[in-house]
Amino acid sequence: MDILRSIFEVSGFILLIAAGVAAMTGYLYSHFKYYDRAWYWPLAVVAYPLLALLGLKAAGLYSDGAFAWLLGASALIAVFFRYIVKGRNSLPYLLLAPAFVGLALLLVYPFVFEVYLSFHDLKLTTIMMWKNTGSIPFVWFRQYVNVFTTSPLSEVSFWALLGRTLLWTFSNVFFHVAGGFGLALLLNNSIRFKGAYRTLLVVPWAMPQVVAVLAMRGEFHATNGFVNIVLSKLAAAFPFLAHLGLGPVQWLSDYPLLTCTLINIWLGIPFMMVVILGGLQSISKSYYDAADIDGASYFQKLRYITLPLIKPVLMPAVTLGTVWTFNNINVIYLVTGQAGGTEQADILVSALYKAAFTYNRYSYSAAFAIVVFALLFFISVFYLHGFDAAKEER
Amino acid sequence: MTGNSEELRKARERRKRLKYLLIHIVVIAASAACIYPLLRIFSVSLRPGDKLFSTDLSIIPDGASFKAYASLLKDTMFLRWLWNSLLITLATSFIGVSLASTAAYAFSRFRFPGKKAGLILLLSSQMIPAGMLILPLFLMIMKLRLMNTYLGMIIAYSVSSLPFSIWILKGYYDTIPRSLEEAALVDGTSQVGAFWRIILPLSTPALSIAFLFNFTTAWNEYLVARVVLFSAKQYTWTLGLFELQGQYITQWGMFAAGSMLVTIPVLCVFLYSSKWLISGLTLGSVKG
Repeated sequence: MDILRSIFEVSGFILLIAAGVAAMTGYLYSHFKYYDRAWYWPLAVVAYPLLALLGLKAAGLYSDGAFAWLLGASALIAVFFRYIVKGRNSLPYLLLAPAFVGLALLLVYPFVFEVYLSFHDLKLTTIMMWKNTGSIPFVWFRQYVNVFTTSPLSEVSFWALLGRTLLWTFSNVFFHVAGGFGLALLLNNSIRFKGAYRTLLVVPWAMPQVVAVLAMRGEFHATNGFVNIVLSKLAAAFPFLAHLGLGPVQWLSDYPLLTCTLINIWLGIPFMMVVILGGLQSISKSYYDAADIDGASYFQKLRYITLPLIKPVLMPAVTLGTVWTFNNINVIYLVTGQAGGTEQADILVSALYKAAFTYNRYSYSAAFAIVVFALLFFISVFYLHGFDAAKEER
Repeated sequence: MTGNSEELRKARERRKRLKYLLIHIVVIAASAACIYPLLRIFSVSLRPGDKLFSTDLSIIPDGASFKAYASLLKDTMFLRWLWNSLLITLATSFIGVSLASTAAYAFSRFRFPGKKAGLILLLSSQMIPAGMLILPLFLMIMKLRLMNTYLGMIIAYSVSSLPFSIWILKGYYDTIPRSLEEAALVDGTSQVGAFWRIILPLSTPALSIAFLFNFTTAWNEYLVARVVLFSAKQYTWTLGLFELQGQYITQWGMFAAGSMLVTIPVLCVFLYSSKWLISGLTLGSVKG
């Protein structure tokens, strides 16, 4: 029974969306098509607002003054279509409208809402008030001040998180590229079983990330994890290693950031490998033949042929990888997010998530998010600028 | 003289063989590192209940059995979680691909004011950290009273892969010659008819890739589900598995069994579609 009900619920919702899209398309179509008819004005300025009013009343969302707003908005829209659009380019706009509205409602609006939140004070004690009345105290820039002066979690500060994030991003991307490049170079030889190796090597990327991270987290467990079993077996087999301090390590409690980094390096190498391998395979062999005739060494070929030629593939992948790593909540949250988890591994974005949903500091988290976004924006503009400059140089 | 060069050739041959041997060793080691955790999960999932925490490293443990799978399916709501995930994911992908297919057509075939701005907007929307939008989406869903429902999840997921899908589909539409549509237009179809009868059927590969991308993104999502769903009955499988592993002591075998059941189909789908996904991932940025 439950199953049937869930199917009805979801398919009903899809039908509702389809109806919404159809209604919107019809609405826009009439504006595009009949903008110069005599009955355009009554339709656009009287009939549509009335219909919308009825709809609002039926949905129970009607509030005083809504009709005035509807009238004003309809008049503006009508003027816009009558004197500016004049029915031009109707088809592409009609095709774009559903996606555009979707993005506006679920991407742009949340973003604006987040900015709004960051200037107000929404937290556990004010959320009921907001839920019922929709109003929350306005606090100017206090949340932004708080971001830099108080901790998003219980002790670690913004600046410590920033440092940790940069370290995390840099070390991950470095090892991703280094590991991926190395493996791609090896696979680019004409060796046997190449396809099989390639398939096996992308497994960490292909696995659902939740499973991969949780499984790896298990491998770093103090007594039952693979890593510690191997370490203790090594220490037992070679006593001199044990004297040097080799032995089981409390990975999750003593070195959480290192553990997360190791896990994420394992996860990220395959993507870089595949991208770089694609780049390597597109390099024509004749370059290397020419270099061989000139007597170039292996490293000279690597430096003067391979690197410059895969740069157009590598740079976007590195940019993408940097942004992904910077924004990676998943790995850190899945490793440390359980009750009693540590905050020694948190980076900016995971602290932001925890501040909102573990500590219920919504507005604080919103201000934090805006700061992080500004930071990321600044970094990527800087990055892309450097990328363009490098492009021009060539 | 000839003997000497023969010697040289043999030495070179031997060096080459050694090189290939080394390559194979390194690549095999790397492959082992990549799949070993998966094999370990498999091994744990087969362990009998009293040996879950042995430090044994063999893949097929002594007394292997499928008991963990049986109790996973019987004693937990795993099937229900899979069903929840499936419904949410299918609805999300359907909505996402439908919206993307028409929008991409507009971007591919028409010139109109605001086209370039729209494309730039699309690309730059990818810059907004996903983690950043979770909070406002969560509050919106709360305000709409859709917490702990399928609809809330579908709403939260539906546009997350939209820019990427539009981008892939636009790239594919661009490769379909315009003359096909022109012929149809001459024969009397409308532009919409040409899109529906010619472009869409021809784009099945790209549409299915966009669908798969939407599907895997929503299927593997964890962070939004964590905050929107709170009763075990409504959980997606990601939440369910996390719960199982959270109760580390008792459920380790079931966690492993569940992981295997989820991972195998995802792996197959990924390996099948990876070539396309990768070209799509890098295409946009290379061109830009």
